[in-house]
Amino acid sequence: MAETVLEVRNLTTHFKTPEGVVKAVDGVSFELHAGETLGIVGESGSGKSVTALSVMRLVPRPGQIVKGEVRLKNRDLTSLTEAEMQEIRGVSIAMIFQDPMTSLNPVFRVGWQVAEPLFVHQNMDRIRALAEADKMLGRVGIPNPKERARDFPHQFSGGMRQRAMIAMGLTTMPPVLIADEPTTALDVTIQAQILELLRNVNREFGTATILITHNLGVVAGMCKRVIVMYAGKIVESGPTADVFAHPKHPYTWALLKSIPRLDADQRQPLRPIEGIPPDLIDLPSGCSFHPRCPFKIERCKRDTPSLIPVGDTQIAACWVTQSGVELKDA
Amino acid sequence: MISPLPIEVDLPQESRAPARVARSYWQEAWGRLRQNSIGMVAGGVLVFFVLVAIFAPLLAALITHQNYQTLDLTNTFAPPLSPNHILGTDDLGRDELTRLLFGARVSMGIGFLAVFVALTIGAAVGLVAGFYGGLIDGLLMRFVDIILAIPAIFLFILMAILFKPNTVTLALIIASVGWGSIARLVRGEVLSVRSRDFMVAGAALGARDSRLIVRHLLPNVMHVMIVFGSLYLGQVVLIEAALDFLGLGISPPTPSWGNMLTNAETFFFHSRTLAIFPGITIFLTVLAANLFGNAVRDAFDPRLR
Amino acid sequence: MLLKYVMRRVLATIPVVIGVTLITFSLMHATAQNYIPGVDLNPALKPEDIEAIKRYLGLDRPLYIQYLTWLTNLVHGDFGRSMTDGSTVSSHIFDRLPATLELTVTAILLGIVISIPLGVTGALRRGSKLDHFFTALSVGGFAVPAFWLGLILILIFSVQFQAWGLPFLPSGGVITPGTEGGDLLDRLVHLIMPATVLSFVYISIWSRFTRSSMLEVLGQDYVRTARAKGMTERRVVYLHALRNAVIPLVTLVGLELPALVSGGLVVEVVFSWPGIGKLLYERAIQTDYTTVLGITTFAALLVIFGNLLADILYALLDPRIRYA
Repeated sequence: MAETVLEVRNLTTHFKTPEGVVKAVDGVSFELHAGETLGIVGESGSGKSVTALSVMRLVPRPGQIVKGEVRLKNRDLTSLTEAEMQEIRGVSIAMIFQDPMTSLNPVFRVGWQVAEPLFVHQNMDRIRALAEADKMLGRVGIPNPKERARDFPHQFSGGMRQRAMIAMGLTTMPPVLIADEPTTALDVTIQAQILELLRNVNREFGTATILITHNLGVVAGMCKRVIVMYAGKIVESGPTADVFAHPKHPYTWALLKSIPRLDADQRQPLRPIEGIPPDLIDLPSGCSFHPRCPFKIERCKRDTPSLIPVGDTQIAACWVTQSGVELKDA
Repeated sequence: MISPLPIEVDLPQESRAPARVARSYWQEAWGRLRQNSIGMVAGGVLVFFVLVAIFAPLLAALITHQNYQTLDLTNTFAPPLSPNHILGTDDLGRDELTRLLFGARVSMGIGFLAVFVALTIGAAVGLVAGFYGGLIDGLLMRFVDIILAIPAIFLFILMAILFKPNTVTLALIIASVGWGSIARLVRGEVLSVRSRDFMVAGAALGARDSRLIVRHLLPNVMHVMIVFGSLYLGQVVLIEAALDFLGLGISPPTPSWGNMLTNAETFFFHSRTLAIFPGITIFLTVLAANLFGNAVRDAFDPRLR
Repeated sequence: MLLKYVMRRVLATIPVVIGVTLITFSLMHATAQNYIPGVDLNPALKPEDIEAIKRYLGLDRPLYIQYLTWLTNLVHGDFGRSMTDGSTVSSHIFDRLPATLELTVTAILLGIVISIPLGVTGALRRGSKLDHFFTALSVGGFAVPAFWLGLILILIFSVQFQAWGLPFLPSGGVITPGTEGGDLLDRLVHLIMPATVLSFVYISIWSRFTRSSMLEVLGQDYVRTARAKGMTERRVVYLHALRNAVIPLVTLVGLELPALVSGGLVVEVVFSWPGIGKLLYERAIQTDYTTVLGITTFAALLVIFGNLLADILYALLDPRIRYA
């Protein structure tokens, strides 16, 4: 078993709004091991992005980490001062974001932005830092990196910008990389290229990666392990192959069933998940998924299930599956 | 054969939709404006000054029992709180408060007239230019560019010496430049609304141009005009006061807040307060107009959107 | 590309220049039609002589020729002659322009230097008492009549201070009368009040604008990225954010550049500042139409070219336009 580089325990992040307290992340725990790619999957509002931002301590106001620990090599990040945290960001953990056009500063040259962590964190002199940045741009697949480094972000195409962002995150060789929906804003053909790049990066540099996405296909191709989130909680987790083959939570099951398949019978109707995502201020009682769950029993309305092992390799939070019931169509 | 889509959709009982009363765009804006206490107070101050302007003679008769023209050379530069003269008298013994009251007439009168004229002409030009586009737009906007290229104060001064203005003509002089800015503003707004689907739909249904412009376009750019109108009112009051102060606008004996300050410097030794009151009234009026304008802008375009 | 952009802008200004000169020419013709320079000075001129002078000056030519002459003169820097004393307008402009520029440029610089910190502080401490105070100051400052402010400042710092025996500021002029004008301190002491009054309105507008621009920038994704890279808050605010936030401010300041010549008129009059604005005012009182129109034309042309300059400046600063 590879060593654990990042351990999140019972992370809880709330947003205090005039309408009430939004429980964006509610008691999330997981581990990230060296060199692995972990997927976090969920729909909008499931809390996956806020979880990542909480790890980085970048949650915007009025959000706040209320409870929990984030351990990076045995340091609890939630207890560090802002100055100490600034030493960690970009050095020990790097994060890349969804929309590379708005995530790159329009008035600074790309090479400079990629090199910035080097001359700020590692006190490298400008010339050397820029040279390193050029090299990194080349390694992420940007042609003519020396010339392109002097360009501004708007002169890059979408795919190239995302490559530049990845370069920017990796210049300091951080042990952990968090990628928040890195391909969502890109064309489908470019998506494949970027994912390929991330795979190579993971192999070459051994960077432990957390890949956040709502796209199950991406997870299938990239992540050995996956975490499924719903309404701020983890509902299932385990090796990707197992979770996809026999999901142990109705939400995961419904998600997989809702994907249109080319080989399905044309007369079969599409199967969306019934109902709408819950209001995070006013969550349903008991299991948050129960209003939309086709398998629910009485207990689901009353008691909130906890995450326990179900099956050999997976853990899930569901009364139904925990009692041994197999999920399948009626 | 494709099987028919299921028509009934079962929503789980627990999903609820909040009940909301439908309100029109204008009603919502007014509701937001009402909640803005600063804006409402500012609006109230403006209304106050308008009322003072309208009822100046009545107020003078009731409060000061004076006429703004009555000279009293035996009692010049009386300090505030003198008998019969709450705010004192000026260099010719005329009651200061009465003059302030009547000065409101000039400022408010010219202010609203200039705003009205500028808004009307500017909106008309902006609507037509934005609606028709192309050559008409190009020509009209070049014309606006030309008007706006000439420094406004220079133009005002020039016209003031050419025409020796009274209240109405002064308002027209000021508006003759102001319409340019509003035309540009309205045109910009029109351009963004012009290509929206409801405009195309209206034309497809056979509506005439005039109908499209007046009944469909105008209501959607109105909010820009209201905001501008309010802010412009403040500007007009400032410009008019400056022109009066320079001796090029309304001249004595008609009191205006601007010309009451014309010789304040010279008379400073005799009365400290004379220079202060007219400036305060100008300041309050312009401040109220600005705050109200900002409040209206926030009401129509809340950041929450 | 930059060159194409500049060419397009230049082409767009030509009709405006024509329009403005047409207007000033028409006004000139309407007001000073039969004006002969110096006719008032020499009553002994016979009608034949007047005709001769007219022909000499080209005043009997058709209107469009006169207009073209006017235009050509403008290109050569000839803005006409005074109706009252025959002096050339351009000599007046040449004399008075430095004083006006001294005043307006100082006011603008003062405006920028004070607005940026005010705006940034307001954005960083949004909602605090300090922020509310600055906003109130801005809104108030915008409503104060400039001439009144000038008056009050003179009354306090010149007249009252003098009466109280305190060191006081001069109430007008560029330099103390009688001195040569070489003393920097003297000039500064004279400059301080008018420049402050003039900058008041700038500060009111620009500080609020900087604040909202800063707030908008601070909410952008690239600021989040900078923080994710572990940059200190200072670096994020003053390097990553501010550099973006000032771009729109530059446009705003650029919009004021054309008004460099005319904006100070009222302040010049109140403080007896010997600039172009005061000149126009003095000549207007004398109904010296030609001088007034000559100055107006000059100022309008400056506005047009100032706008052009501002557009180019903006294009230079924003790499998105420059390298489009």
